[in-house]
Amino acid sequence: MLKNYLKVAFRNLWRHRIFSFINIMGLTVGLTAFFLIFMYVKFELSYDSFHPNADRIYRVVCDLKTPTETINADGPSWAIAPHIKNDFPEIESAIRYTNASLLVRKGDIKFQEDNTLFADSAFFHVFGFKLLKGNPATVLKDKFSIVLTETAAKKYFGKTNPIGQTVLLTDGNFPSTITGIMEDMPENSIVKADMLVSMTTLTEDFNKGIDDQWGNYGNRTYLLLKPGTSAKALQAKLPAFLEKRNGDEMKKFQMYPTLFLEPLRDVYLRSTRDGSKTGNITNVYIFSIVAVFILLIACFNFVNLTTARSTERAKEVGIRKVVGAGKFQLARQFIGESIILCLIAFILSVIFSALLLPLFNQLSGKIISHNIFSHPAYLLLLFLTSIAIGILAGIYPALVLSSFQPVTVLKGRFATGVKGILLRKGLVVTQFTISIALIIATIVVYNQMNFMRSQDLGFNKDQKLILDTHGDSSKTALMQKVSTLPGVLSTSMSGSVPGGGNPGAYSQVENTKGEMQIANLDLYFVDYDYIPQYKMKIIAGRAFSRDFGSDTTQAMIVNEAAMKMFGYTTPQQIIGKKFDQWGRKGMIIGVVKDFHFRSLQEVIKPLSLRIEPNGCSLITANVSPKNLPSTIASIENAWKTMIPNRPFSYYFLDEFFDKQYRSEDRFGRLFLNFAVLAIFISCLGLLGLASYSTMQRTKEIGVRKVMGASVSNIVNLLSKDFLRLVLISFVIAGPLAWYFMNKWLHGFAYRTNVSWWIFVAAGITALLIALLTVSFQAIKAAVANPVNSLRSE
Amino acid sequence: MIKISQLEKIYRTEEVETIALNKLNMEVNDGEFVAVMGPSGCGKSTLLNILGLLDDPDAGSFMFNNIEVAHFNERKRADLRKHNIGFVFQSFNLIDELTVFENVELPLIYTGVKSADRKKRVEAVLDKVQIMHRRNHYPQQLSGGQQQRVAVARAVVNNPKLILADEPTGNLDSSNGNEVMQLLTELNEQGTTIVMVTHSEHDARYSHRIIRMLDGQTVTQNILI
Repeated sequence: MLKNYLKVAFRNLWRHRIFSFINIMGLTVGLTAFFLIFMYVKFELSYDSFHPNADRIYRVVCDLKTPTETINADGPSWAIAPHIKNDFPEIESAIRYTNASLLVRKGDIKFQEDNTLFADSAFFHVFGFKLLKGNPATVLKDKFSIVLTETAAKKYFGKTNPIGQTVLLTDGNFPSTITGIMEDMPENSIVKADMLVSMTTLTEDFNKGIDDQWGNYGNRTYLLLKPGTSAKALQAKLPAFLEKRNGDEMKKFQMYPTLFLEPLRDVYLRSTRDGSKTGNITNVYIFSIVAVFILLIACFNFVNLTTARSTERAKEVGIRKVVGAGKFQLARQFIGESIILCLIAFILSVIFSALLLPLFNQLSGKIISHNIFSHPAYLLLLFLTSIAIGILAGIYPALVLSSFQPVTVLKGRFATGVKGILLRKGLVVTQFTISIALIIATIVVYNQMNFMRSQDLGFNKDQKLILDTHGDSSKTALMQKVSTLPGVLSTSMSGSVPGGGNPGAYSQVENTKGEMQIANLDLYFVDYDYIPQYKMKIIAGRAFSRDFGSDTTQAMIVNEAAMKMFGYTTPQQIIGKKFDQWGRKGMIIGVVKDFHFRSLQEVIKPLSLRIEPNGCSLITANVSPKNLPSTIASIENAWKTMIPNRPFSYYFLDEFFDKQYRSEDRFGRLFLNFAVLAIFISCLGLLGLASYSTMQRTKEIGVRKVMGASVSNIVNLLSKDFLRLVLISFVIAGPLAWYFMNKWLHGFAYRTNVSWWIFVAAGITALLIALLTVSFQAIKAAVANPVNSLRSE
Repeated sequence: MIKISQLEKIYRTEEVETIALNKLNMEVNDGEFVAVMGPSGCGKSTLLNILGLLDDPDAGSFMFNNIEVAHFNERKRADLRKHNIGFVFQSFNLIDELTVFENVELPLIYTGVKSADRKKRVEAVLDKVQIMHRRNHYPQQLSGGQQQRVAVARAVVNNPKLILADEPTGNLDSSNGNEVMQLLTELNEQGTTIVMVTHSEHDARYSHRIIRMLDGQTVTQNILI
């Protein structure tokens, strides 16, 4: 019996090639999209779960309360990790790491290692990174010990054994020993580095005494708790610990930290402290929903096309019943056919997924997977999903088909029921609702991206080439040399540039009551030329000037946000007020108009700018767009003569700033792609339905044409119904999309509106696509000779 | 074999009520070959559908092999049908996606006959209707007469006690029609009961008895032998 079913199934597929193609294609595309998104979501959820102790690892983060504000800092004070273990026996290990960029030299080979971590010696005890060579307990124990990843080690040592070899750190004064080689850190790890340097290098040499600096914040601290320890209970005991250890200092500086424990596995998706650098659980949800939607659309297609075709199968059903088939046997046959279709789609989508994976990796900006076949469990899930779709999508058509009365169908007195038509219309409406909502969402995302790119940032980011000297002693000489090069219009040096990081400083500023108010101010170290070069606007007072010698030590410029934070309503009021920051005291000499020194997702924070040559290491060169390659070549030349020890590198500020939107960019691109897919599948379904409905109305069309209907009358007649469905979808999709996209936009401090034209654009797009799809069939039917269609009766 | 009394079938739409069978009485004995004739709309096809257990009557009694089947549900009717009744239609009603062999095999599949057995029986019956050489062709590749012979083969492959033929020659030219009628006669001579609806007096002459219907009732019965 099975053989018979299979035969009929395949012959049927072959006889109705076009419809089989539409059906299978829709499902294949749906399954492929679903599978790729599923892998993406799985990947996002897999972050940091590879550590054997992942469940016991917690990140310590910290809120800092000053009399003025509360800051959500990410790292706690440097003294926490060295001291916390003594007070809490439930803590098995406490480690710190901090990011650094170090110049590493081995003979003539030199690299600026931007992904360097100084890490405490228990790093390999807490985390599960695999050490290929070296003893995990001791590799990071002694100062000037280095662990390299396999890839990094190859750069310096090729095939020779790196263990025990020496490299030179920074400007060559620090010979260091390679003590270990580790596997490259996996993509789905929030801790990423090419090189680890023992923390003792910092604590015993570069930065002695930092172990006891309770007021120095900003490192990453992780705890490995003993099995069975409640993180919540531990967290509750931390305020007392801080009070006991550091209470006096907290009171003195009016800085009150609160510590929180974040489970390691939640850090990537759920922690809000790393800005857009990490993942976002909302995006994961959105993608999951999109995946399910696309799958739904594909299923609806399937149900739709199959039930639409039931008229054709009716005769077969009738005959089978007459010769003895039971309802159950027939239902089983049709569900079986539906499963076969789904299995074909499954095989195709596995092939497609494998082929599209590299593209998808590129689109999502990271290697989700190298090979889909390395995830047999995922493939099994896709397989089961396909079978489930086959069964679910097959049930309705199977019931409809198997309940046909042989008397009616064999006599040709057969008409599709109103109920079936309603269901099909409902499914089409759902498909188009989803599609239109996705179009609207895509436009909103792109609109917002565009807005962020074109928004006046309050400074000029064009034609700015940035050189990072890493604080090299020849930095000033280099800048002077660069400023004389043809093609370089102006130069300046600063500690930070917009889009990059900047320190936060413990500060006191005279407020409206004449008190010195304590606050944590974001701080930019700059030089005299920085503000004019960046075309930042001074709205009160003056910019730094060489005419005032005291500007180097006693002058501060604040932004409007800072001015408001200290209670002033007009910028003029704060001019001349006193400040005390990191050992410098003086006066506020100017107020700069708020500029976006971080992404537009964040509100502009209170900022202070000071002249501090020692804190500056970034040279900004305004370059002429003419002869850019030769300008860059001459800058490189200057670099090579002045700082020969460091490898030359540069970046452009506009690109650098826009990098902050990488994840939104990816989000937008992925969204666009999947919206197109959803529309595509929906149109396939519409195409199938339209051609069936025209086929069923062949006789009607013939009669109408004989009665004098024109081609356009007929096209109109056939398209009208479908266009009405699209309109209904639009009415449903509009408010839904409006609601959700408004929510999404609320993640941005500076955002566009969801304006009416977006809906009009989305509606017209959907309508046009639908019209194109339907009219193709309608025109074909309308121009046909009525004699043929009438004769067939 | 068949005993029908006071059988009624009424088709209702919102506005019109059509009486298809009006207290019809009729009897068919084992081994008989009966032709049912009458003008369009007299209820012949309705009668045939009820006889074939494809449709159920609204009132009256239908004894099939001394069993009252008038109120059987669909499953029971299907069960009785597949073991006892074969159908031949005017428009052949073969499944286009199946070959000649597979079409004839179908009833055996649904009655659960084993594969090897099926092959033997299908080949035997194809031989009988002289269509063995076309066994791997599809219906569209055959002439109308050949298609109807396949349909007859399918109707008898299960050795039914009763064959119901609904204008079996209606779509055939006279020589093909005669062939099919010859075939039915042979089957009847081998013991199969046949009830045939027809418009053709010529075809009706192959039967033993002609039942003439008008407005849902039998009006005359001519016994031909």
